Formats: sequence, C-alpha cells, structure tokens
Amino acid sequence: MDFEPSPTQRALLDALGVLLSRRAGTGRSRELAQRAAYDHELEDALREGGFLDLYATEEAGPLGATLAVERTAAELGAVTAVPHLLVSPALGLGPGEGPTVLAVAGDTGPVRYGGTATRMLVAGADRCEVARLDPTRAQPEPTVYGYPLARVAAADRHELGPGTAATMLAWWRVGLSAEAVGMMRRALDTTVEHARTRRVFGRALGSLQALQHRLAELSVRVEGARWLVYEAAHLGAPPEAAAVAAAHTTAALHRLTRETHQLKGAVGLTVEDDLHLWTLRLQTLRAELGGLRAHRRAVSESRWAATA
Amino acid sequence: MESSWEPADAAFREELSAYLDEELGGWERSETGLGSAVYTDFSRRFVRRLADRGWLTPHWPEEYGGGGQGAWQHFVLGEEMWKRGEPRGPQYMNVNWVGPALIKYGTQEQKRTLLPPIARGEVFWCQGFSEPEAGTDLAALRTRAVRDGDDYILNGQKIWTSYANAADHCFLLARTGTLADGRDGISVFLLPLRTPGVEVRRIEGLVGEHSFNELFLTDVRVPAGCLLGEENKGWRIVRRTLAYERVGAPRYARAALVLDRLAEWSRAHGRLRDTGVQEQFGHARTLCEAARVLVYRVIDERAKEREPSAYAYQARAAMVQAERAVGDLALDVMGSEALVEGALGDAQFRNSLGAGIAAGSYEVQLNLISRLILNLPKE
Repeated sequence: MDFEPSPTQRALLDALGVLLSRRAGTGRSRELAQRAAYDHELEDALREGGFLDLYATEEAGPLGATLAVERTAAELGAVTAVPHLLVSPALGLGPGEGPTVLAVAGDTGPVRYGGTATRMLVAGADRCEVARLDPTRAQPEPTVYGYPLARVAAADRHELGPGTAATMLAWWRVGLSAEAVGMMRRALDTTVEHARTRRVFGRALGSLQALQHRLAELSVRVEGARWLVYEAAHLGAPPEAAAVAAAHTTAALHRLTRETHQLKGAVGLTVEDDLHLWTLRLQTLRAELGGLRAHRRAVSESRWAATA
Repeated sequence: MESSWEPADAAFREELSAYLDEELGGWERSETGLGSAVYTDFSRRFVRRLADRGWLTPHWPEEYGGGGQGAWQHFVLGEEMWKRGEPRGPQYMNVNWVGPALIKYGTQEQKRTLLPPIARGEVFWCQGFSEPEAGTDLAALRTRAVRDGDDYILNGQKIWTSYANAADHCFLLARTGTLADGRDGISVFLLPLRTPGVEVRRIEGLVGEHSFNELFLTDVRVPAGCLLGEENKGWRIVRRTLAYERVGAPRYARAALVLDRLAEWSRAHGRLRDTGVQEQFGHARTLCEAARVLVYRVIDERAKEREPSAYAYQARAAMVQAERAVGDLALDVMGSEALVEGALGDAQFRNSLGAGIAAGSYEVQLNLISRLILNLPKE
C-alpha cells in the first residue's frame, strides 16, 4: 500500500501537465467548442510524448495511464482518452488515429465525437466488436454538454475473443470515473475558492456552516471516488472494483453538479465563468453505461451474483 | 501509489484469519449485549489467549510486551477483529491508544505497573471524557481535580462511559486549571475504579446493556502518581494519542460483512433479484469501499510516521455514511423480520444510530474538514 505518487508517477504527471498547459485548458476548450472539433493536434502531441503507450509500459502501467486520463480530462483535453489510453490497450489493440468511440450493443444513443470517429468498440454480451465507422453517414446532434455528439453508422465489424466485453466494460468504467474525478476536483476547487472570497451579509460565503458542511461532504465523496479509481486501476480493473469506482464517482457527480452550481449562484450559469466547462461535460459521463443505477447493479452482480 | 498488500502483511492476515476462524468458531457477538456480562467475560478469556500468541499488542515496542510490528499489521489486526464483531471488547481501546499514551507520556513507575497487565490482557480500561455539559464540546468539561499534598481530590461526573461497569481503570480528563483556561486547564488521570468515592450507574440505552454508564466522583483521593504527563497539559496528550483513533475502529469492515450476510438473506428470501434491491446493495457496498480506501490513506501516513493529517476526518465521515447505509438497507430489505430483537437488521440499524456520535460527532468531522482541508474561513 502506498498512497503517494512514486517519483515516476510524479515525473509523468509533471510532463503531461506541461504538455496540457500548452495544448489544452479552458481557452483551448472554448475555441474547439465553437467548431465542435476533436483536438487532433493534442492527440498527436500525446502520441509523440508516449502518453498513448503508458498502459503497457512497466514504469507507468494501467495506473499511470489512468492518472493521465484524469489529468487530461481535468484540463478539458478534447480527445478520446479513455479508449486510447485504457480500453484499446487492455484489449490488445493499438490506439488508432482520431477519435474512437465506445458503445454497448443495442444502445443507439449519440456518442462523444461520433461525427468524426473512424473506429468504434462495442461491448456485446460476451465479446467486444471492433467496428469501422463511416463519418459521412454519422448524424451529428446539437448539444451544450461539452462534447460534440453524433449517432454513428458502422461500415464493417469484427469480433474479438471471448470475454473481451467484460474487459472493455471494466476499463470503460475505470476510465470514465477517472475523467469524472479529474473534472470534479476542478469544479470543487473553483467553487471552494469562490466560497472563500465571495462576501455576503458582510462575511465570507464559506464561513456559513450550512455551506461548509455541504462542501465538506462533497470533498469526502470526491476523495473517496478518487482513491477507489486509483485502486481499481492498480488492481487491473477487476469487475467489482471497477463498478464500485463508477458507482461512487457517478453518485458524487450528481451531488457535485447541484452543489457547485448552487454555491456559485447566477455567475456559475454564465458562459464567461468556467464552472460549466466541467459540470456540463460531467453530464455526458453520467449518461454512459446506463448511469448510476446500472453501475450499482453491476456492483451487486459482481459481488453477489445477484441475478443468478 | 499502489494498492497491493505487502506479502508480509497479506501473510499475517491469512494466519490471523485462520486462527480467528478456529478460535471464535461460531461465536457471534450479541450486538445488543455490548458491555454485558456475557460479552465481557468472553472478551476477558479471549484476549488472554490472544496475548499468549503475541497478537494483543503486536505494534507496541518489544520492551513493553509488544512485537514491534508495523502500522499496517496493527491495522490488519483491527480490521479482522471488527469484521468479527470485535471479540476483544473494550480491550481495543487499551491496546490502540491507552497503552501507547502511557508509553509516550508515562513515568517509569506508571509504565512498569500499568503496561504489563494490558499486554497480558488482564485489565479493562474505560474512557472518562464526556460529561453532562461537555460532549461534542469536550473542552467545556467541569470535573475538578485539586492538589492536596501528595494527592489529588477528584469531584465531578462523567457520562456515556462504556464498560465502566467492568473496567479496572479509567483514563480520565479533569480540570486542574480554571474553566476560563479552556483546553489549557485540563489534565489526564489514570484512575483505579476501585478507589473509594467512585460510583458507576448504568443508563438504559438503545444499543447495549451496559453501553452507557454514569461515573460519579465524590471526594475521590488519588496519589499524584496517577497524573499522566504534566498538569494542565492533558489536552495535547489526548489530541495526539487519539489522532489515529478516528479510524482506529474500522467499522466499515463490520458493515461490509453484515452487508454480505444481508445479501445471503435476501437471496434466500427471493429478494435479491429485485433491481431496486440490487441498486440499494450496490450503493451500500460502494460506501463501505469508499470508507475503506479513505481509512487506508490515513494508515499509509501512519506507516510512514508522518504527522497525523486532517484526512482522518474525511475517513471517519465516510465510515459514518457507510454504517448508516447498511443499517438503512437492513430495514428496507428485511421488512418486519429486521425488527426482531437480535436479527441482523436490528443489530446493524441500532449500531448505526450511534455511528455519527461516538468518538467525535459527524458534524465536528465536517467542521474540521472545512477548516483544515478546504481552508474555509471560521464564522
């Protein structure tokens, strides 16, 4: 057990931090949002920096890759980090070029970056399928939730080996939780900062105990989610640990969205303020894999074989 | 960062589990009998056998009857005990913090006379902190200790003192300064409970037969050798020795075990296939797991011998949430079966009522998180 980053992990995050400070962040995110664009330049930079290969390296491994996913999401990187850094390597696939989308068989809802994606991974009952996508047949949908959305059309597909669907789902859960944790930490930090400095009734907003307790409870949830995600990643995404991480993270996400917007008041509802850059994206994550209730059922299923 | 167990710690857990499974057999702590004669007698016999194997105080230094083991092994011991309903009874306090406080602050004489009986499992201690007018606001305590020659004379009242009916000694806080001194006027006394003038009265409670007691102190005369550390420096002793005690009782481990049993019960009664029930189980399990990782983070600091940080407050708040979720689930899922005295649901629910009260209230943890982790301004 060790709850502190190793020198290797620290170096990795420092290097990634430098890269993201140049190529991602709130300004870049706003600019890309205007065009509903995927950030190919960021993806290339991550590839050149070796960040897409972390999963299989001995020094970083899946936990290092998960930390990189968290940080990339926190900095609003407009790339498909979960499939590139976690799900593809866990399935023994290369990261591919451009966006890869993740889906569950039978779910026809629009997906992140579906409009420009050329590859889709689909979780079936037992096997995972790799589908080639035809972007000319994709149907974009208008959305304000931070990521461009589109319904996709598969050109052709092939199946991977038995049991691959479970691997895909587990790493998808870990990955989307890591993204959510990265974004929740930023949203919480900016809200706490607001509570420290904003004055109401002649005192700091954050000196009101009714608000302090709500923020303290949020921090308990977000920190719990964070360490559950790291543990699940380090252990190689066992189904129960992955489902627990996703269930706790998603529950925290629900609460965090309401509390941060409530505490930030009307300012938090303006485009000029940054809070929504994280909270709106979080709603896209909330909608994946059936959401909170499905994650909780997955916990029951993996722990107690509840449906057996 | 990494989340795997050191081979030595994993091996220790395995050996300990095998021993406990055999030693405890079908023993079930009667949760409604906390502090009851049956539970206490069992604990007395059990801890002596544990002491014989070196597993009562394995984390103490060897010179005081310990095994010199690390923080993780000590914690594994606590986790396995709590899972099984804490068969050490009140002894967990002795070994977790009363002994370590004596080791750190005691005189040679205090260590020589008081530590060996704890290490051998022969004595019980209780904790005389709360008073009728000082619970969560502990620094408002009023029990007086007045120096009289080579003695101190104690007068006052303590309340909620678990195990006082069975204990041999009390780790007692009393005021040696004035009320206006607040925290700087408090001292620690190591009070033998058989001293004349000490009276224990039981308070009927919802959790256990003797979980609540009152302790009345009327002109109790003790030698000055009963003072631990310096006069008026007691608050620091308590703060320091209790720094890890917020997570000293890994209550989530018990909650998680009860949850597993509730799942078995639900399956046997055809209720586990209900998706709503599955979701509630998933929710409760998740909170138990979140509490576990947050507690582990605190133990990691302890193993590295860092100064205790405020993370312990987050861990304890998470433990409260976990215990409550399992208690609620028990009643929601078992229906009226949960109301039968001693049923799985009954025990967990009643225990969970106290989860956010004992060892520092839930709200105090939130206050401390706000101030020390979030750096929010004081009112």
